[in-house]
Amino acid sequence: MRAGRLPEPFGRFVDRAEAQTFTFEGRAHPALAGDTVASALMAAGVTTLSRSFKYHRRRGVLTMAGQDANTLVQLADEPNALADVVPVSEGLAVGGQNYSGSLGNDRAALLERLAPFMPVGFYYKAFYKPKGAWKLWEGVVRRLTGLGRVNAEAPHGYYDKMYLFCDVAVVGGGPAGLSAAIEAAAAGAEVMLFDDQPAPGGALNYARFDAAGERAGRVRDELVRAAKNHPRLKVYTGAVAEALYEDNWLAVVHGNRLYKVRAHTVVVAAGAFEQPMVFRNNDLPGIMLGSAAQRLMRLYAVAPGRRAVVATANDHGYGVALDLLDAGIEVAAVADLRPDPPSSEMKDAALARGLRVVAGHTVFEGLGKKRVAGVRMAEITGQGECRGASFTVDCDLVCVSVGYAPTAALLCHAGAKLAYDEATATLRPDRIPPGMHVAGAVGGAHDLDAVIAEGRFAGWAAAAAGGFDGRAEPKFPNGRGDVGVNHPWPIFPHPKGKEFVDFDEDLVVADIENAVADGFEEIELLKRYSTSGMGPSQGRQSALATVRLAARARGRPPAEMGTTTVRPPALPETFGVLAGRSFNPERLTPAHHRHVEAGARMMVAGLWWRPAFYGPPERRDECIVEEATAVRANVAIIDVSTLGGIEVRGADAAEFMNRMYTFAYKKQQVGRGRYALMTDPSGAIVDDGVACRFAEDHYYVTATTGGADGVYQNMLWYNAQWRLAVDISNVTAAWCGVNIAGPKSRHVLSRITRDVDLSAEAFPYMGVRHGTVAGIPVRLLRVGFVGELGYEIHAPAAFGEVLWDALVEAGREAGIRPFGVEAQRLLRLEKGHIIIGQDTDGLTHPHEAEMGWAVSGKKPFFVGKRAIEIQTARPITRRLVGFALANGSGPLPEECHLTVRAGEIVGRVTSVVRSPALGRVIGLAYVAPDQAEVGSTFHIKGPGGRLIAAEVVPVPFYDPDNQRQEL
Amino acid sequence: MDGQVARPPRRSFIYRELEAAGARFVAVGDAEVAAHYAGDDETQALSSLGIADLSPLPRTGFKGDGAVDWLAAQGIAIGEASNHAVRQADGALAAKLAPGEVLVLDGLGEGEAICARLDAAWTPVASAFWPVPRRDGAFWFLVTGEHAATMFAKVCGVDLRPDKFSNHAVAQTSVARTNAIVVRDDLGAVPAFHLLGDSASARYMWHCLADAAREFGGRPVGLEAVRSLIR
Repeated sequence: MRAGRLPEPFGRFVDRAEAQTFTFEGRAHPALAGDTVASALMAAGVTTLSRSFKYHRRRGVLTMAGQDANTLVQLADEPNALADVVPVSEGLAVGGQNYSGSLGNDRAALLERLAPFMPVGFYYKAFYKPKGAWKLWEGVVRRLTGLGRVNAEAPHGYYDKMYLFCDVAVVGGGPAGLSAAIEAAAAGAEVMLFDDQPAPGGALNYARFDAAGERAGRVRDELVRAAKNHPRLKVYTGAVAEALYEDNWLAVVHGNRLYKVRAHTVVVAAGAFEQPMVFRNNDLPGIMLGSAAQRLMRLYAVAPGRRAVVATANDHGYGVALDLLDAGIEVAAVADLRPDPPSSEMKDAALARGLRVVAGHTVFEGLGKKRVAGVRMAEITGQGECRGASFTVDCDLVCVSVGYAPTAALLCHAGAKLAYDEATATLRPDRIPPGMHVAGAVGGAHDLDAVIAEGRFAGWAAAAAGGFDGRAEPKFPNGRGDVGVNHPWPIFPHPKGKEFVDFDEDLVVADIENAVADGFEEIELLKRYSTSGMGPSQGRQSALATVRLAARARGRPPAEMGTTTVRPPALPETFGVLAGRSFNPERLTPAHHRHVEAGARMMVAGLWWRPAFYGPPERRDECIVEEATAVRANVAIIDVSTLGGIEVRGADAAEFMNRMYTFAYKKQQVGRGRYALMTDPSGAIVDDGVACRFAEDHYYVTATTGGADGVYQNMLWYNAQWRLAVDISNVTAAWCGVNIAGPKSRHVLSRITRDVDLSAEAFPYMGVRHGTVAGIPVRLLRVGFVGELGYEIHAPAAFGEVLWDALVEAGREAGIRPFGVEAQRLLRLEKGHIIIGQDTDGLTHPHEAEMGWAVSGKKPFFVGKRAIEIQTARPITRRLVGFALANGSGPLPEECHLTVRAGEIVGRVTSVVRSPALGRVIGLAYVAPDQAEVGSTFHIKGPGGRLIAAEVVPVPFYDPDNQRQEL
Repeated sequence: MDGQVARPPRRSFIYRELEAAGARFVAVGDAEVAAHYAGDDETQALSSLGIADLSPLPRTGFKGDGAVDWLAAQGIAIGEASNHAVRQADGALAAKLAPGEVLVLDGLGEGEAICARLDAAWTPVASAFWPVPRRDGAFWFLVTGEHAATMFAKVCGVDLRPDKFSNHAVAQTSVARTNAIVVRDDLGAVPAFHLLGDSASARYMWHCLADAAREFGGRPVGLEAVRSLIR
């Protein structure tokens, strides 16, 4: 049927002057600007929006508030969009999802016939027997599960994040929220109000608060005007408060932006969501919450049907009936669940307009196939019992108003608990954390005067908590209108079932009862076993009924059942919001662009980008060998700016170094460098570098690229306790570094260095000097990580590129070339130098790694000393040895391949490479101590589990007498 | 080639990005600075949202016991409170980062080269305080205009709005997940913030700011435009 559009003042959100067209399932439909997909479809007479997850039942509008899974639809680039939230735009293409065939004729609906074989928890019991059955079932199950299609070709959207700061943040733009915000702003606080709807007003936009239907609009206009005119109050509409974290960190999603709101105090006035009634076929399209029908009419000018039945247990249902009448919709009957409904302004007005009210009755069964065509009504004879006479009423719309549950997710995120309150038959937020205030329906108040008064009080209290306490305390209301709104048992099991408790998961009354009977009595276990509340709507429409049913099945009051844990986000949010525009810092060396220009393949090293090698990827191995050969035979340069640089300065500098590192430093001469090995309190190796003594009270210490920040923090942490007279500065970024290495390195460097004598006698191995290179003030370190004559040149970062250029130019005649990290790794392995973190792990102590030579036994203390002494006194369990392969022609072992003996793991390979200088495969590996003697053999479990024999050989592999680096 | 060649000029850590944005460089002391950009009037952007790269310009720092007293003896005015900056007579800015640590930024006009004087005056003999190589260790950007604080809210968790973060206030915080120092230093009536952070992350930060500034029409501005507001 076509319901069409209602005349004004219906349709508060739509602009009748702007017509639009969109498609649903390939068919064009008209819409108005301001429509949601769901409202436009309802206006077009389309009532089936989706298919249910399990049985593929037709589903239509339920809440019209983005609170349920019935309206999940497919957009071109986004699955699982909420049709009652997504605005229509010209040309928008929308489709159904989770069907086989078509939305109107879903072949998968046959699954419902198998329902008797799919009781609650069946998937925990089925599919796994006999052994191996899951392999067969997996494909079937995977095809049937999941909702919507991800478009991997969808263009990337722009998502970002922004902080907002305010004294008071108010969540909810209804009468309570608006009142709170206005009061707090009036007190002098800076206030931000967040509402998820297109316009503020909340229930005042659609609900009926008096018989004449006039008050809501009047109150709304007054509040909205006051809010918009206040200079200290900013209203954000279309802003979904998703989460509340510690210290009032409020996450608000607004379009493609995540606002990170930092508020001194937070007022939660998020309202309540209406609850469905449980009866047979209560999920038929056309059966919806009373508030959903009101939203369709008041917000979108859509008549939700022609002939309605209202099922209610409170005044709100009569307000719905009056609205329907105002819209020209026939109300066939009002089923009032209460046996003797009290007189009220709203009910009396409904009776005065000739409504047929059937007290003590309920809708017992929905009739119809594609949408509701009628209901069977029955007399209520006990809690959930309808054993009396029944009769049918023809209708195409059923509106249900039997109570609410609080929109309390944010409160729960902050630590509040939901507790069932017998007096009001609802869940109430309890144990509200400090710094938070609650107002309105979320706390159970439904009387409009009480809601406004609570809002004012909460706003006043929130402002006062922030020091804005100049205004008189508003009077807190006495009555709240919280009793008699929720019916205590709007659940009516049917002999034939299909009374849905959880629409998302197609769970019926028997499923909850059977879950309890299966022993899953506690609410958290019940949730996981039955999946009640685990669907997209996260139990917003099922939690209350589940608690009631489980309580009855256990013979306990609902108040003793508790509720499940509520976690962020409060409503579904997109991956774009979660992932969008995160900050990923990256660091570049000063000569970075020179590497790129030279054809370097860049690799990530911590936050840094470093050249892996220079050349095309398909020539990777050749390039690495060529670079390594240049270092061994000629001259080459590598950018080592990423090495950590830490200044240790002060009268106690030597004492500090002595405590932080394993070697001895007090007698280290000025102008000399010394290897620096750092261990942690457990004796494990954590970093290494070179300690350069430039003055009695000044060390410049290098650290590994990945370890520099940790070393620096370590130093600060220890000296905060030691209180030595020393200053520690991390100058990693302030100094760039270039290592020039190779037999011709002295010759090349001497071409642009005049104030430092580079001769072996004047500047021996491990010497350190100040000087200038190409006019740039530098620190020169004669070190030899790659085992050749070489110099590390450390210069102020601003001159990094100029220094690189100068070295390239000075070495052009000699055939200088750059080399990357991969060649450096190869070269250092030939020298047997370890890389911390690669050749060590989190437990490696120096003696295992054959680094005992770097540990001073004479010092009274260094970090890790006691642990190393203990470890040394015990039998060692593994040793790092150098190895060579007898046969290097087969598949090579790789790093982390295991070393094994008689089927037992004894260690692992840490480094392995085919050495161009040695012409064989060499590596480092952990082996059992009795395998560590030179000449011993051990086995590596290589590719495919093949055992590869390796021989322990002396280290260094290359230039064992270190003659080349000490030239 | 020999060791007596003149020291090359200092260039920005991001001079390539600046070139790509149309920067024209001028020599300022020992540095080359982006003076202006091709295109529209930069003074408009300065008032709305402008980002200037001042990285090549002089700045220095000292830390340790006695640093504050020594700087005072050198004629540098330093306030009592940490996280507050004091304008010097010649236009420089001295920001006290901690009881024993001070950051000094040279003035943006043509005043005395105060950082060079301080660096030259410091001697290691018997010093209990030490220079911090701010000029090489940190980039130096200046973010100006009425949208500056709002733009910062996209990259920084500190409330930098004018009524919350007073002129010459200092925040040592995280900007776009990197450590940074923010100093508010208005250019007359135009809100302005110095931003200093890890020099190796300069390009990363420049792009972060450019991205954050886009919705406000923010753009790079040169030193000449900045100076026009000082004169």
